[in-house]
Amino acid sequence: MDTIVLSDAEFDYASERPLAEAIKAGFPSPAEDYMRDAIDFNRDMIRNPETTFYGRVSGDSMVDAGIGDGDIAVIDRSLLAHDGDIVVAYVNNEFTIKILDLSHRADGYVELRPANPRYVPIRIHNTDNFEVWGVVVYTIRQWRH
Amino acid sequence: MFAVCDCDNCYCSCERVFRPDLNGRPVVVLSNNDGCVVARSNEAKQLGVKMGMPYFRMRQLFPNADITALSSNYELYGDMTGRVMALLRRACPGYFFRYSIDEAFCELPDDWPPERLRAWGQALHTDIKRGTGMPVSIGMGRTKTLAKLASHFAKRYPGYHHACLIDTDEQREKALALCPIGDVWGIGRRNTAKLQALGVATALDFARWTEQRVNQHFTVTALRTWRELNGTSCIENEKMAAKQSICVSRSFDGMVDDAEILSHHVANFSVHVAQKLRRQGTVAGVVGVFIDTNRFRDDLEQYYNYADRQLLTPSSSSTVIAATAQRILDSIFKAGRHYKRAGVVALGLLPDNAIQTNLLNGDGEHVQRQRRLDALIDRLNNIEGENAVQLASQQYRPGPDGKPVHFADALRHAFRSPNYTTRWTDLILLK
Repeated sequence: MDTIVLSDAEFDYASERPLAEAIKAGFPSPAEDYMRDAIDFNRDMIRNPETTFYGRVSGDSMVDAGIGDGDIAVIDRSLLAHDGDIVVAYVNNEFTIKILDLSHRADGYVELRPANPRYVPIRIHNTDNFEVWGVVVYTIRQWRH
Repeated sequence: MFAVCDCDNCYCSCERVFRPDLNGRPVVVLSNNDGCVVARSNEAKQLGVKMGMPYFRMRQLFPNADITALSSNYELYGDMTGRVMALLRRACPGYFFRYSIDEAFCELPDDWPPERLRAWGQALHTDIKRGTGMPVSIGMGRTKTLAKLASHFAKRYPGYHHACLIDTDEQREKALALCPIGDVWGIGRRNTAKLQALGVATALDFARWTEQRVNQHFTVTALRTWRELNGTSCIENEKMAAKQSICVSRSFDGMVDDAEILSHHVANFSVHVAQKLRRQGTVAGVVGVFIDTNRFRDDLEQYYNYADRQLLTPSSSSTVIAATAQRILDSIFKAGRHYKRAGVVALGLLPDNAIQTNLLNGDGEHVQRQRRLDALIDRLNNIEGENAVQLASQQYRPGPDGKPVHFADALRHAFRSPNYTTRWTDLILLK
């Protein structure tokens, strides 16, 4: 078996903190008043971490809405779905990502509309048992691997 | 006023969030190794599937029932219950205490009127159901024991809309009369048998005893329960916390008779226990080990043993716990037996900062060094993946392909669901 040598590892926790205290110690800086935490995607875009889930887009049914195969959808289940929202729903034993169309509710149905002319809308008549699984708040696409 | 909030059929409910096709159908979750039933949906309970029933037995008894059996996926359950607990904590106006993986107590202001309490509970159910997909029930009462009782009713009768309050003495007595003594929180199996022998059938029968009579027959634990049933709160959070222990145990896939393989398993369990201790910021004062043969094989010689040891200095160090467990295993191991199950327990848990270095154990510097080593191992395993750094005693001997056989691979989990919430590769697919 190979021998693994562990060097003395003192992780520098101090570097993870903002530098304000160090600056205060000796070098008063005029920039200090303007110091803020860095942009943090988790903090700023995931407003409700406990109710946020992720899904992987499969297929091109939403391509005209700018959502393509392989994209990651950020889904917040705590939001109430409005007309026109992009939502995730469970229909015919699979999850689907579509635009929610509530404009025909008076006629007794709702539609899940694709954003691709090659697909037909999914019409749901028995709205009693239909539940939106979650509302899509962001999609993320990787451009370079 | 106390509220207890817990997830209904927790593991089955976690699975259903990502498998809505399983709603309304019988579902069971199997123990590690797909051995026996550890969670049941309401539909499976109604069919008559019992807790702890071996999987093969279930298939024999219900050949035509379309029961979906899933391997346990603790990674998924851990994430989902963590979300539920975070939401509960935020909704709780007073003291919050997580009692188990899927269950927490909240203290509510005493001046809230009954309507407000019920509305709070129902809104909590609605918000958590919508936000996470998990169904929770809320029981409320003047004591924790009464809150637990209310929670049974909240689960059983839809009319409560998942939140039941036991408020007046009239409600309390009615509820106690409907509750078999064995279902009372904290009574335990031994005391149930004893109470039944003394003619106690329901919780109300027991509550109507005089304090003197309770004292005459039982210890202080039963007396506390008696007081709580009568509306006097006396079970403190700290008391419940002190009782808690950590146990990691598994049934083996097949049987183990080799001392070396058994000690590898025990080393793995020890490291898991130590990781859990560190994660919750506690140290153990006592380490215990048990080993057990296959109880279903009455053709083989049976053997069970448990032993524990006090640590000189309470610890959460992988190396200390594993070494102690190994010494205990050596003392209880008997050759020639076929072992089916083993486990490591940590008892006497204390907050990490309460460690008192024992003089016999030398200096605090040694403890500090161990601590740094464990922190380093945790960090590396976080970055490189679980078990990237292991103790030498954790390693299995080479498998047929020459590579070491890993712990997880030694377990059977044929029907495990994807880790929808914790791995990028396992996300739900959106068509």
